[in-house]
Amino acid sequence: MDAMAHTDQISMPGSAPLTEANEVKIAARGVDVFYGKNHAIKNVDVDIEDKTVTAFIGPSGCGKSTFLRCLNRMNDTIDIARVEGDILLDGEDIYDKRVDPVQLRARVGMVFQKPNPFPKSIYDNVAYGPRIHGLTRNKAELDDIVEASLRRAALWDEAKDRLKESGTGMSGGQQQRLCIARAVATQPEVLLMDEPCSALDPIATAQIEELIDELRQNFCVVIVTHSMQQAARVSQKTAFFHLGEMVEYGDTEKIFNSPEDKRTESYITGRIG
Amino acid sequence: MSDTTVPVASQVGHRSLLEPDALLKKRRRKESWFKMLGLGAVMTGLFFLVVLIASIVYNGIPAFTQTYVTVPVTLPADKLDKTGNRNASEMRKVSTFGYRPLIEQALIDTLADQGISSPFEDGGDLADLLSDGAAADVRERVLRNTDLVGKTVEFDLLASSRIDGYYKGRVDRVSVERGMVLTPAHLDVADALHERGLIERRFNLEFITGADASDNRPEQAGVGVSLLGSLFMILVVVALAVPIGVAAAVYLEEFAPQNRFTDLIEVNISNLAAVPSIVFGILGLAAFIQFANLPQSAPLVGGLVLTLMSLPQIIIPARAALKAVPPSIRQAALGIGASRNQMVFQHVLPLAMPGILTGVIISLAQALGETAPLLLIGMVGYIASNYPEGFLDGFVSPNSALPAQIYEWSKRADPAFYERAWGGIIVLLVFMLAVNILAVVLRRRFERRW
Repeated sequence: MDAMAHTDQISMPGSAPLTEANEVKIAARGVDVFYGKNHAIKNVDVDIEDKTVTAFIGPSGCGKSTFLRCLNRMNDTIDIARVEGDILLDGEDIYDKRVDPVQLRARVGMVFQKPNPFPKSIYDNVAYGPRIHGLTRNKAELDDIVEASLRRAALWDEAKDRLKESGTGMSGGQQQRLCIARAVATQPEVLLMDEPCSALDPIATAQIEELIDELRQNFCVVIVTHSMQQAARVSQKTAFFHLGEMVEYGDTEKIFNSPEDKRTESYITGRIG
Repeated sequence: MSDTTVPVASQVGHRSLLEPDALLKKRRRKESWFKMLGLGAVMTGLFFLVVLIASIVYNGIPAFTQTYVTVPVTLPADKLDKTGNRNASEMRKVSTFGYRPLIEQALIDTLADQGISSPFEDGGDLADLLSDGAAADVRERVLRNTDLVGKTVEFDLLASSRIDGYYKGRVDRVSVERGMVLTPAHLDVADALHERGLIERRFNLEFITGADASDNRPEQAGVGVSLLGSLFMILVVVALAVPIGVAAAVYLEEFAPQNRFTDLIEVNISNLAAVPSIVFGILGLAAFIQFANLPQSAPLVGGLVLTLMSLPQIIIPARAALKAVPPSIRQAALGIGASRNQMVFQHVLPLAMPGILTGVIISLAQALGETAPLLLIGMVGYIASNYPEGFLDGFVSPNSALPAQIYEWSKRADPAFYERAWGGIIVLLVFMLAVNILAVVLRRRFERRW
């Protein structure tokens, strides 16, 4: 609760000011994804800006999660998935043969739909990333990273007295914030969130949403959501996906108030989806 | 409102909730039938388990006690130590035959002292009360402690298996009369000694620590050496089958590409799990003994054969356990940039450990009870007659295993061996229980919530 009050002072959800012309962090050009014979993503072009929350919305099965998972090459783990086209992170093709996805994922962190802390202590959960990437030289530095990450995830006050306890013993909302802290701890540049609130109650959802708004100051955040209200509340840019195509992409305000495409309008007004 | 009658369910077309309809009755009947059937099945299983345990305990417990005859034996120095310097290696020249007359004399003297009349004039007939190994026992003790020479020392000598059987109810006067070895007069003497407390049944540690004995000395036979053989084999299996099996499971489940070749491997592993154990025995004979020239009857070879046999039993459940680790944990690890290796060894494997250990426990228990393949590589029961000379020697010196020892005893003619076979089963079950408890404790330590 303390954390909530703290974030309230910074910015209210929904009142996030539109950022002007941030530099492009991720550029996708002509991206196609195939699951076996199924053409899941069709020729998607998008420029995702830094220090911005970009929301992917669309009906179930529209490919928004699939596209998100292309951005840190999580689709590599699915044998039958094939990605074509270019995705550039700071101008470098992340699907280049020389790119090791492990290194990519250190820079592009991910938070999943279901909170999935490791069955280890809270401390070890957060410290895991810095440890495997060798970000620290000693225990003191690691302690600092853990504390800073937990603070960033608005979890420090609740977790500081139980760092040695298991991360799986926390509530759902706390677990998801722990996962955010874990992702943040590797000091990524981009944070991908795949429906991070869909398994949470409204209060926990509100906390996460405020957190996302704060994270925007340091990261490029991409969030997939089923909830249009959530997209409207947290994002500055919105992309609407439908049947594997990216139908429309633009400022969130514009997408929600004066969409150009009929399909976007239908979805937003609840006629499809 | 009071005028209106409340409509009865049947009148409005609804059926009353108070009486179940025919179909529901039938469904309920089926349910209770199945419950009875299930309960019956469980009870049957339980009944047979009780019968099994009761018969094992009833038949096997007597093997843990043994009948001893207490007599003072005079150890004359002029016969046992001719040089007189109490040198054990010198005294070794006097064989067990040199000790027999001493024991016979001791028996005659004891009967005279106790005022027991006996029809036996010859001490040799009287000595049939005792085990053939009694003289050897006396000799062993004298050689261990040469100071005993020249004194009269009280010895607890093993009674013969017939006398032992007489006190355990296995042998009676009628069967003795029919037999060739003892006469009812022997039993009279034994009864008289028993009355005076000189023949006694007591706990038989020798059964647990001793070696196998020849056909005519069942009273001396023990499971100690073959138990050690089993232990050495299990060490080999744990050292080889567990790491190889787990590594194979991890590779197949986490790293191997899905293609025809790995499919073929998979099918073969499943088939291997169903191959009769004796086939592994003949394979071991051909591969390890005839081809690789490893020593015959060695626990090392037995362990290798059991390793081959256990591998599929470890790999299959280990793969299932790896598969059961929730994908969210894998994603979590990969998502923050863990390599595949780190994902597997730092997250997936620890979470799969309890399941893997369950498979290991079961396969170890199976390996521990395996008999047939051991017989083919020469680990037959009667081999287990000498203790190995050291830890490493334990792997290569000829030995048997507990189940093979039990099988060996069950084949022998003397019913005294039959009793020991049951006793061996008790030791085997306790040994197995100990190994399993150890494994379960280990599994508990690995168990984690997520």
